[in-house]
Amino acid sequence: MDRRKFLKQVSLWSAGIIITPPVFNLTPKLFGSPLIKPDILVAKGDDYSGMVRQVVQSLGGIKAFVKNGDKVVIKPNIGWDRNVEQGANTHPLIVAELAKLCLGAGASKIFIFDRTCNEERRCYNNSGIKSAMKEIRDKRLRLEYIDDRKFVPVNIKKGKALKEWSFYKDALEADCYINVPVAKHHSLSRLSIGLKNVMGVIGGWRGKIHYKLGAKLADLNMVIKPKLTIVDATRVIVRNGPQGGDLKDVKILNTIIGSVDPVAADAYATTLFGLEPHQIKSTVEAYKRGLGQMDLGKCNVRYLKA
Amino acid sequence: MQCPLSKSLIFMKIKPYLKQVRRLSQLICLVIFLFLFRQTDYTGSDTIPYAVNILFRLDPLVLATITLAQKTFVTLLWPSFIIIGLTFLFGRCFCSWICPLGTLIDISDHFIKSPKTSVRLPYLKYVILIIILISSAFGVQLLGFADPFSLLVRGMVFSIDPVMNYLVSLFFDSVYTRGPAAFSNISEPVYEVLKTFVLPFKQSFFYLSFLSFFLLILIFIMEVFGKRFWCRNLCPLGGLLALISRLSIFKRIPVKVCKNCELCESECRMNAFDKNHYFMFEECSLCMDCLEFCPDNITTFKFSIPKNKPFVNINRRQLIVAGLTGLALPVLCRTNAMSKMPDDDLIRPPGALNETDFLASCVRCGECMKVCINNALQPLFLEKGFEGMFTPKLVPRLGYCEFNCTLCSQVCPTGALGRLNVKQKHAFIIGKAYFDKNKCMVYAEKKSCIVCEEHCPTHDKAIKFNEIKIRDVFGNPVVLKQPYVVEELCIGCGICEHICPVQGEAAIKVVGKDSKMVSRSGYT
Repeated sequence: MDRRKFLKQVSLWSAGIIITPPVFNLTPKLFGSPLIKPDILVAKGDDYSGMVRQVVQSLGGIKAFVKNGDKVVIKPNIGWDRNVEQGANTHPLIVAELAKLCLGAGASKIFIFDRTCNEERRCYNNSGIKSAMKEIRDKRLRLEYIDDRKFVPVNIKKGKALKEWSFYKDALEADCYINVPVAKHHSLSRLSIGLKNVMGVIGGWRGKIHYKLGAKLADLNMVIKPKLTIVDATRVIVRNGPQGGDLKDVKILNTIIGSVDPVAADAYATTLFGLEPHQIKSTVEAYKRGLGQMDLGKCNVRYLKA
Repeated sequence: MQCPLSKSLIFMKIKPYLKQVRRLSQLICLVIFLFLFRQTDYTGSDTIPYAVNILFRLDPLVLATITLAQKTFVTLLWPSFIIIGLTFLFGRCFCSWICPLGTLIDISDHFIKSPKTSVRLPYLKYVILIIILISSAFGVQLLGFADPFSLLVRGMVFSIDPVMNYLVSLFFDSVYTRGPAAFSNISEPVYEVLKTFVLPFKQSFFYLSFLSFFLLILIFIMEVFGKRFWCRNLCPLGGLLALISRLSIFKRIPVKVCKNCELCESECRMNAFDKNHYFMFEECSLCMDCLEFCPDNITTFKFSIPKNKPFVNINRRQLIVAGLTGLALPVLCRTNAMSKMPDDDLIRPPGALNETDFLASCVRCGECMKVCINNALQPLFLEKGFEGMFTPKLVPRLGYCEFNCTLCSQVCPTGALGRLNVKQKHAFIIGKAYFDKNKCMVYAEKKSCIVCEEHCPTHDKAIKFNEIKIRDVFGNPVVLKQPYVVEELCIGCGICEHICPVQGEAAIKVVGKDSKMVSRSGYT
């Protein structure tokens, strides 16, 4: 092969790769079948770690979700440069406990990340999640900053309001995706809970999807399917969400909700704010798409005693 | 009168190694400088323990200029007395032992060939020095154009650092995205290590990157006119240290070149010999080279009380021209039309002094822009005229001012940005936001949005909304949340403008805080 031939081949080869972006085709499977009555576990108390253990245990134990050698994604809300007290991010104790459980179940890798709204380093530090993860000291556990190269475009085949958007590769490829949102007030969508938490694994200009937000969130949730949703309602922002800041806006509920049904988890958490599930558009839209049950009468709500 | 030290056994013993010691000192200082440069960033704590600003605080030229410009002593600059003291003792040792720019120039001499007989314009550095000092005293501080560290740090912040990161990530990114997995399995861990220890956390982008690069690189290009061309002929800090060094007590001997040799004169990187082959103390940077190549081992250094010296390398005509230029610059700047323009869209960083004091104090070092966590601070070009060039402004569309971050006010070497704690920062107003209802989706297209309200960080939100029932563009009844700004609560951080999802210019914009207070005629 002479030089000219070599260069020609190299340029053709790389041109071919450049002009064919990878597109993931994910056909959403019917997840929350209406025939199954989903469990909603509600734990109250101030031992958050213990409550997480209890909730997971009552849902069948961590082994029901994490198999030996699984790649696990734990997706907390670390969106804002706010501290633990201010309640804008998922409580670090809850994230840490889930990470420990997954490590115990033999996960080969645990990724924890969020695409933050404020500067990512400040959010990871101020939320207390970075130091909580450091304390665990396990090489399998990785708290990572978002790497822009990992966003891949995804066709949302059954999407109604959104046909295509880019998603974070690690979230798409996870064997087990655990959603750990914090429940809080949100001025536009009224509440930000589990379905809204998907905003942290998508790319693009997120401000653009605030028009018809509820429907778009439901579409996005057809791509990312958590095996388990643990809602942090220990400290909830009741006004001036989603970032709050003023401690007067924070209500201490000391509640943790767990479910395998993402819609049911949101639906129950909604009631903690004195609202009905049908008042939250994303919940309704997700229910319409068969992502889960929003009618709490058709759910098994079980209260755990500490 | 001779100090016994110069003839002591210790001095004679270390004399052959002094050049190596000097090189070691240069290397250490350069490494410290680069380390501090990398440390000038968010490191996980709200306070920054050490930053590259120490370089400016050590700089006596900054001290002199800021003191004249502000007519007051800025206590932040006390470390420069260390250098002044050192110069009283050892002359311009700073130039060859400490200065990181000098070290880089020395390194570049391995690659750039300098002629045997170099261009000599030693008076120019005094001219520049006088222009800067006089114009500072009379209201226009232009130190940023000539201070060696301003040029160096700015060049690194605006161009060298981003370009280096860009090139390195380009390589690793293309391996990662296009190459086979086997390659990226090797390259990614390497990239990780580089990211942790060498590269900046994020790719940064700056206006004026080319200009800053050019100004910095020019210093190295000038080496083709002779070794250390910048240091010998142009550096105003070198000029100031030269003036002080005339009183220093550590001197090289012999005072005149030996007739049959003249090696020390022809090899001297600083050209520290005049036409009559006399040694000029103020030009010597104590690089200790001549100790090494003196064939008869005559050259040495000794302590002695300074005596009467010949005149400095500047004649009366040059002195007068420099002085008049220094006087003319402020007048020219003040009568420029740009100085009449209201600074409507100019948002200074938090903690900034009032505009006049800010311009007088800012040394255009670029550190606030380097440390800015969101790459939101950008250098001005000619918006404020020549005197505002390279000073920082917030460009919200590129990045916003992070609510809890006070780093820029911590790294400012001269206090042009006064140090703020988080509580003070939360209350410090840098600008005010206003809506463009012709663009805002809610008003113009009857679509729901309020991303700005969601992001507004003040604890009583400065952006609030009204819920109104209205018909959308298709005639269907909708409930819309219409946002508005409460001016009294807005601090001008710019996050609303930054995240506004409207294409092109945002539908909510932030203008400088003074825009409504300063009347058009310039009277306040």
